[in-house]
This record gives sequence, C-alpha cells and structure tokens, in this order.
Amino acid sequence: MAAQGIWSGTISFSLVAIPVRLVTAVKPGRVSFRMLHSTDYSPLARRMFCPEEQTMVTPDEIIRGHEILPDKYVLMTDEELESVSPERSRTIEILDFIDTKEVDPIYYDHPYYLVPSKGGEKAYQLLVEVMRRTNKAGLAKFVLAEREYLVAVKSKDGALALTTLHYSDEILPDEDLSPKKEKTEAEEESRMKKSIKKMIEDFDPGKYANERRKGIMELLETKAKEKPPVEAPVVTDEDGEGPSDLVAALEESMRKVKEGR
Amino acid sequence: MSRAVVEIAERRLSLSNLEKDLYPSYGFTKAQILEYYRGIAPFILPHLKDRALTLKRYPEGVEKDFFFEKRCPSHRPDWVRTAAVPQNGGEPITFCLVNDLETLLWAENLASLELHVPLARAGSPETPDSMVFDLDPGEPANILECARVALILRDLLSGMELAGYVKTSGQKGLHVFVPLNRKGTTFEDTKTFSKAVAEIMQKHYPDLVTAKMAKQERKGKVFINWSQNDSSKTMICIYSLRAREKPFVSFPLEWGELESLAGLGDSERFQVSHSEAVRRAEKMGDLFQEVLVKEQKLPHL
Repeated sequence: MAAQGIWSGTISFSLVAIPVRLVTAVKPGRVSFRMLHSTDYSPLARRMFCPEEQTMVTPDEIIRGHEILPDKYVLMTDEELESVSPERSRTIEILDFIDTKEVDPIYYDHPYYLVPSKGGEKAYQLLVEVMRRTNKAGLAKFVLAEREYLVAVKSKDGALALTTLHYSDEILPDEDLSPKKEKTEAEEESRMKKSIKKMIEDFDPGKYANERRKGIMELLETKAKEKPPVEAPVVTDEDGEGPSDLVAALEESMRKVKEGR
Repeated sequence: MSRAVVEIAERRLSLSNLEKDLYPSYGFTKAQILEYYRGIAPFILPHLKDRALTLKRYPEGVEKDFFFEKRCPSHRPDWVRTAAVPQNGGEPITFCLVNDLETLLWAENLASLELHVPLARAGSPETPDSMVFDLDPGEPANILECARVALILRDLLSGMELAGYVKTSGQKGLHVFVPLNRKGTTFEDTKTFSKAVAEIMQKHYPDLVTAKMAKQERKGKVFINWSQNDSSKTMICIYSLRAREKPFVSFPLEWGELESLAGLGDSERFQVSHSEAVRRAEKMGDLFQEVLVKEQKLPHL
C-alpha cells in the first residue's frame, strides 16, 4: 500500500484516538495523452486568454467572480474565501455509528484507505475487527484541502476504508424519474424473476476488464516497438557548406590554430 | 504580504511580496533579487537598452512554473518605454524596453528573474549588432569542454581578424559574442558565418564539437548553437540572474581567466554568484563594454 499519505492525523471517538494516514484507494484507469504541436512535437502549455484584449493573462491579473446573472459577477478574494473555509483539522471525529446497509450507494463519492501510523497499529486492528463483526460504519466530519466532508469509515479486508459522501442537497431528486404506477401482471413478474435468477453470479469485478484501456495499452506497446518515439527538435539542420571563400579562409585559420597548439 | 513604495527619478513604483523566497532551496527573496538588480544596474542597463525584452517570469519561484511574456503587460506604469516590433512578417508585438533603473526594478517586481533580449535593437530588428556562438554541453560534457571549445574558437576567429568576448550562461554553457555594430549586417550574414564556423569546428574536433541540433548528436559533445543568430531568437542578457537552484549570473570572463579556469579543471568554479557579480563588476568594470561599440566586419561573405 502507498506509504505516503495525502493527509495524516488521528481518527477518534469517545476516548479512543488512533494515528492514521489517508491514502487514495483508486487510480483512474484512463490512459493520459499530452497535447503536442503537430509540427515540432513540443508539448503544449495552457494559458489564460482574454478574448477582449486578445492577449494572454498572467496569474497576477486573474481574479475570481461568481456569475449571478449572465455577464454579472460577484467578485471574491482569496481572503474572503478563506474566511468561510473550515479550519484545517488533524482529526476525523466519528459522530455516530450506523449500519453499513443504511447508506444508499448514491451518496458514495470518493474512496480512500486509512492506514495506521506508528504506534497506532494495535488500536487500529481492534477497531477494524470490531467494526467488521458488528457490521457498523462510523460517520464522521473531516476537513481535507479546505473542504469539509461527511465521510463513512468502514472495515474492509482487514483495513479501514474511508469514503467521502455527498451532502444530501447534492443528490438530485428522483421523483420525476419513475413512471406512473401501472398494474403489472403476476405472470409477467414471475417470468422476469426467473430470467434474472438464471443470470445470477457472484460479483467479480476482475471479470469486467476495461476493454478500451486494454486496447489502447496494447496499441501503444506495438507502436512503441515499431517506431522510436518522436522528439521535439528545436530547429531542423540543413546540411551544406558555407560560401567557398569563407570556408577556405576558416580552414586556413584553423590550420594555424592547430599548429599553434 | 509586504509592500513598499519606492520613488526613483520622481517615479513611484510599488513593490510587492518582498519577503517571498523565490529560490527556496538556496534562500533568496524578492527583496534580495531587487537589491541585486539595483546593484548591477549600471552594468546591465547598457546591454538592455533599446532591446525588446522578453520577460521570463517565476511568480511562485524557480521551483514552480514559469512563463515567457513577450507582450509588455498592459498594467505597466505609463513611464515604461515600449517598442512595437514586427514578428516574422506578422503583427507587431509591443515589447518593454528596459532603459532605466525604475523599469528594471518594475520588471523584477513581476518576478522576471531572467531577462532575455534579441541580438538586435528594437529600432532595427533585422540588424544584429553581434554574432553569437552559444556553446551548449551535452552530458557528460560540461562547462570545461565548453571552455576548450571557446578557446579554440577565440583563436580561429582571431585568425579571421575578429575579436570575441566570452561570458558564462549562468547555467552549464558559455556564450561567445563577436561585436559587429555595423549598419547593413543581416541575420543571414551572421547565421551563414557562424554556421560555417561551427561546421569547421566540428570537422576538426569531431569528438568535442557538434554543429547539429539533434539531441543524439550532442551526447558528450559541445553543441555550437549557431541558430541563435536569428531575429526571432533571444539570448539571456549579460548580468541577468538565472532561475536555477542557486542565483547564478550570466557573467563576462576575461580570456586569460577562462584559460586558468580551464586549467584548474573544476567546473564549479566557472559559476559567478549574485554577490560576486556585483563585487567583480564594480572592481573590473563592464568586460562586455566593447561588445556594444566595437565595429567589426565579417569577411568573405
């Protein structure tokens, strides 16, 4: 598991405090590409552009505005934003323990692991084990990168998994999605149940490989073998000698240089 | 954030973030950078004068992102001189001209640690006043190999009755300048001449020199980059700081000094620090003074 954490502190409830580090649990499977200039293979840089003045804008000229109406902005400074940001915190304070089944998966945002820091191993193991047996998840508030998150801490494969949760006002209402209730026939229902039953399997995520990623990686490998990668030359060389008088004079001067050495 | 307002020649200049450490692993704040440029100003200003400045800005210090800025920022004070220079037949760009101390300090307040200028003045952008040989070592070659090449180059040019002047790049290489200061010289002239010189050098010292840009040709050799002799190219200005780990300076050396440094064989000793730069310039004067005035003609063109 990754040794370096993106955050370190303690996880605590009542009188227990366990030193832990937060590490990310997923790495997006996207193959990344750099944008290059087609003519010289230079990697391209992003710049902020002002369409009004037709000019690049430097960081010291960039400020923040929230668009409240079309083309109408309320300005916000770093200091103002900071004044409403939560204090940095070194603890994940568990507020409640809940049944893991109670959390609707739609609330799950981003998964992390908590790993024990030095001195916390024993208490960590105990917490993992107790949470596994009781099937409980700890609900906590937690500040990461100036944002306060609601998180669920669960026992997973002998470790603690932490998942940030969406706030309830971020979840879009679903009442318009389901169609009006209509009568369904008992026969139809049992037929569908049967066909689902036939397809039941254990969930094995390894079975569903990311085919596009696999394809891209294989293609990259083949292409890299076929041809050396392109490089960004600064200018192209043209061969050919200089004016003959000049070359002769330089040769003569060079002869003297070599004699003198 | 600390701010200060200074007044130079009755012009007010507001300086910001003075305590910000822009060379964090060495420890060199914006205030110290401004102090360096104030001290070196009498020596660097003649070399910046009337040249279209390209700012190379490091707002978050040398370890973070930088960006080049050719267009003179629109938020400039009204006393900053500018010049519109046509770009390769395209639309002209308005550049800053650093002709006085207050403009120099204004540019440094924008964290433009490195000052890059073309080989021609803004009023005559197609007339180079110098020809340059940019000696760039490909690892494992270093500045010692550059010194060997520079010394051969000096003798070769001298045989053509041309005087050259050498400075450190402030990074790994050396720059040899051949002053011309003659109306009617074109970049085509300086490019043709410097390329022929680079190719002769490569022919006679194939293990030491390459005239080819391609990376694989440069390994263990000194690349004589003649292609800098172009109206679209800029060179680091003499006495400018470099944005490396330590605040080294692109600094002139006497040929005799280069010989002894080459003899000592210690690549570290070529580098000139900010404090040494001011001290030495004040003692020796501007060793590149001649580069601005000496008239020479490229023969056999």
